Amino acid sequence: MNAGNFFNLFLSLGVLGLAACIVRKDRLRTIVITVLALLQSLALVACGILIQIHQTPIHVELWRLGPVNLSLYLTPLGSLFAVITAVVFASCYSFAAASHETKAGTERRANRTFLALFQLFYIAIILVIAAGDVLTFAFWWEVVSGLIYGLVLFEQANVRSVRAAYSALAMSEVGSLAGIVGLLILAACSGHTAFAAIAATKTGPGETARWLIFLLTFYGFGVKAGLVPVNQWLPDTHTVAPRSLSPVLSGATLNLGIYAIFLVNMKLAPVTEVGPGIVALIIGGLGAIIGIVYAATQTDLKRALAHSSIENMGIVTAGIGAGFIFWQTGHTVLAGMAFVAALYHMTNHSFYKALLFLGAGGIEASTGTHDLNKLGGLSRRMPAMAFLFLVGTLSISAVPPFNGFVSEWLTLQSVLRSVELSSRSVRLCFVLTGALLALAAGLALTCFLMIYASGFLGMAHSDAAQEARGAPRSAVWGMGALAILCLLLGIGPTYVIPSLDRVVSPITHTQTAEALVPNFFHVTRESPGHLNPGFVSDFHDLGAQVGHRFLPGRGLVVLHQGGKSNPVVFAMSTAYTLVVLILLVIFAYVIFHGLTRAREAKRSNAWAGGLPRLLPQMTYNFTGLSAPVRVIFETVFKPLRERTIETVGGHFRTSIRVEERQEHILDRVLTRPILAGLLWVANHFRKMHRGQVNVYAAYVLLSLLVVLLIGVGGF
Amino acid sequence: MLHWLGKGLTTGIKSSAYPASPDKNPGVTPGRPVATRMGPDMSQFVADRCPGHCFTPRANGVDVDYRTCILCNRCRRDTPAVVHWEEGYEWGVQMSAQSVHERLNSAFGRSLHIRFVDAGACGACMSEARLLNNPYYNMHRLGFFTTATPRQADILLVAGPLSDAMREPLRQTYDAMPEPKRVVAMGVCAISGGIFGKSFASAGGIAECIPVDVVVSGCPPPPLAILHGLLLVVNRVPPSSLASALDAESGP
Repeated sequence: MNAGNFFNLFLSLGVLGLAACIVRKDRLRTIVITVLALLQSLALVACGILIQIHQTPIHVELWRLGPVNLSLYLTPLGSLFAVITAVVFASCYSFAAASHETKAGTERRANRTFLALFQLFYIAIILVIAAGDVLTFAFWWEVVSGLIYGLVLFEQANVRSVRAAYSALAMSEVGSLAGIVGLLILAACSGHTAFAAIAATKTGPGETARWLIFLLTFYGFGVKAGLVPVNQWLPDTHTVAPRSLSPVLSGATLNLGIYAIFLVNMKLAPVTEVGPGIVALIIGGLGAIIGIVYAATQTDLKRALAHSSIENMGIVTAGIGAGFIFWQTGHTVLAGMAFVAALYHMTNHSFYKALLFLGAGGIEASTGTHDLNKLGGLSRRMPAMAFLFLVGTLSISAVPPFNGFVSEWLTLQSVLRSVELSSRSVRLCFVLTGALLALAAGLALTCFLMIYASGFLGMAHSDAAQEARGAPRSAVWGMGALAILCLLLGIGPTYVIPSLDRVVSPITHTQTAEALVPNFFHVTRESPGHLNPGFVSDFHDLGAQVGHRFLPGRGLVVLHQGGKSNPVVFAMSTAYTLVVLILLVIFAYVIFHGLTRAREAKRSNAWAGGLPRLLPQMTYNFTGLSAPVRVIFETVFKPLRERTIETVGGHFRTSIRVEERQEHILDRVLTRPILAGLLWVANHFRKMHRGQVNVYAAYVLLSLLVVLLIGVGGF
Repeated sequence: MLHWLGKGLTTGIKSSAYPASPDKNPGVTPGRPVATRMGPDMSQFVADRCPGHCFTPRANGVDVDYRTCILCNRCRRDTPAVVHWEEGYEWGVQMSAQSVHERLNSAFGRSLHIRFVDAGACGACMSEARLLNNPYYNMHRLGFFTTATPRQADILLVAGPLSDAMREPLRQTYDAMPEPKRVVAMGVCAISGGIFGKSFASAGGIAECIPVDVVVSGCPPPPLAILHGLLLVVNRVPPSSLASALDAESGP
């Protein structure tokens, strides 16, 4: 079977899955649609892998509408996104299906409708990626936006969720409008609507049009990816979204924004100068820091995860920006490295964020809350879930041997390679962004350690957490699969980088994998191939060829070679690190036991300050843990505090109440002044409206006069 | 900020030299009664007049028991028979031979962390103990530090007669301390119940609840006396005695 057949299989299984939603029996329906979705995802993964291997896109002509050809066109780039989406959906589907089994007080039909919409959501996302022309793309993009609105509002229709869903829809619509206008300008410039034809057009749009297209599509489609400053919808939406939706919302739809940026700026209208790269780099750096600073202080778990998505998308965008700049300055290997790093990080983010959101959903399912201040001690109630959540936590905090480390490290390294650039101002941008990314990486570790500690360790801070049932098995299965992927992507970068390079190399026209992954497994000291012989023997002594007998591939070392003065710019091997890590743990354990065997451990109750027993209120909760971050970044948060003191007779204080409100920095710095300006303008225009009929008649007369004057004058 | 340095250098060291040399400065101690020679009727009078019942009348004078003496001055004020007072402050006493822990002395002798517990004291002892942190007494120069948690404490410094409510917290604090650990009872309340004595609400001394290694008499003991008690824990000073007695053979 070829890739096209697999894609058709995916679509037909999707239709079958839609039909299966009418099954009335809950248990049966869950099993049937989960199995169908797994097969569907499997077909899509097979399709994506075949496209990658053969490097031949699927091209399906749908139908002609006058001059417009509607078509599907799944490229190697798109197939990467499709595979990621398929994996995320495959691991989240059982949880979604099981969450919508009919329970007391829920409506059977609503559950079935939700599942049908969920399946449609899956297909729509894939069709956005597979769209072959502007109109198909715009149509499915709109379908996705609409489905997000509908699915977010599905479970609860209170003021908060309606407001959040509405703001998401509004921002997404404005973004879509801008993005589609950008695409249409592009189509008008080239005279085609099909992506393949636009990409093949030799004469691109002019300088101004290029900038216009870049900005419109970057910010327009960037709304989906949560780029600064168009990301306020993301945390609000995630807080109220159904627990089964959040994993895919974060793991799959955010990538659409990145896909659009790749599509427009690398294929349809390749960037021709460093300007767009600098914009993307700085926006990415700002997004990373703003996202993580807010993530570290949110007491709502899902809100914190959403803010962290903004951070991760910022890192991806910074990587893309760095890639654009290197590409335009002729450093194609470095450009490939930055693009590979960005795609790698996006893949990783999809996996671990889906894992963490599944965890948040599982916690919500068993405790009824995702407020971190009400959780705690869950590792005793749900050990499997706690372990998998820890894997996600370590991955997102970029701790080796998990996947976040590899991609963040690659991104930072490629940003550091800015020393190769000649322009001083561009280098300055790189340095500042690098500093922001490094700070964000540190804060991410802090943030997620606090989240894990306050959610899973310590004492239960509420009855709900105290009496939590075990985690839902449907969530744990999905989390387990994603956790394994997180580990594999972490220890096998030498296998991942070449496959990502297959996506990037047709665009940059260089083999990044050749440069990044030296072929240590197939050379010896005697026949070093095209590698430097001294180099091979040095690395042989360091152990870089360990495992070449039984492992496929090029090697386990990621290495970037520089010039004569610095032969090795950087090198790392997470696989060997893992082995060393395991040995170190065993070594430390043996030493510890050998040293402490003679002594007896003294066990006594936890110190409770002399009180009869330790109460949860006496231990740290999330607000307490995150206080340092809040104090350090107070200039960012600028909380508004109100103190009201009640007294008796003006002397004896009966209560002191402190209320604290926060406004997101982007709202404060950007949205509010713009709104205030608009209101100011509107206020002045209001003076025209006196409500008297004769005044309006005068206005009509005046405008008629103006029109006539223009007509007569021939302006 | 630099003038702090200059000021510090010109001021020089003003801290007490104890225990390297005795501190003779006025006001470092209120003093305490010592065994005094007097007639038999007078000794009976003095013993009856003492609110702490700390005098034992003898034919040739009175003996003093410091476990109950609250330093009220009644034995030398407005009385025909004046009991002599001494000016010292080395009032700490080891309760047993095991009071000095070898490892505490050798390994941690210059870095001992103290946890204070107020087991129902009036506040005077704690007020004196607080002075240990000031520049004059400055216990840090001797390697003593306060800590907020018993988990890091080597010495438990307790004041108060052990009120009923504090019995369990004191027990917990003692249990929460790691070995090796030593307990110092400061003030007569912690030793014997002091003026509170033994009642339904007061245990009459912390030895009722936890083992005591060193006691420091006085009500309150001055800072140097507390310091003496702490130094005793690590055997850096000679101990004192809990009683002052007349020689048996000498006449009146």
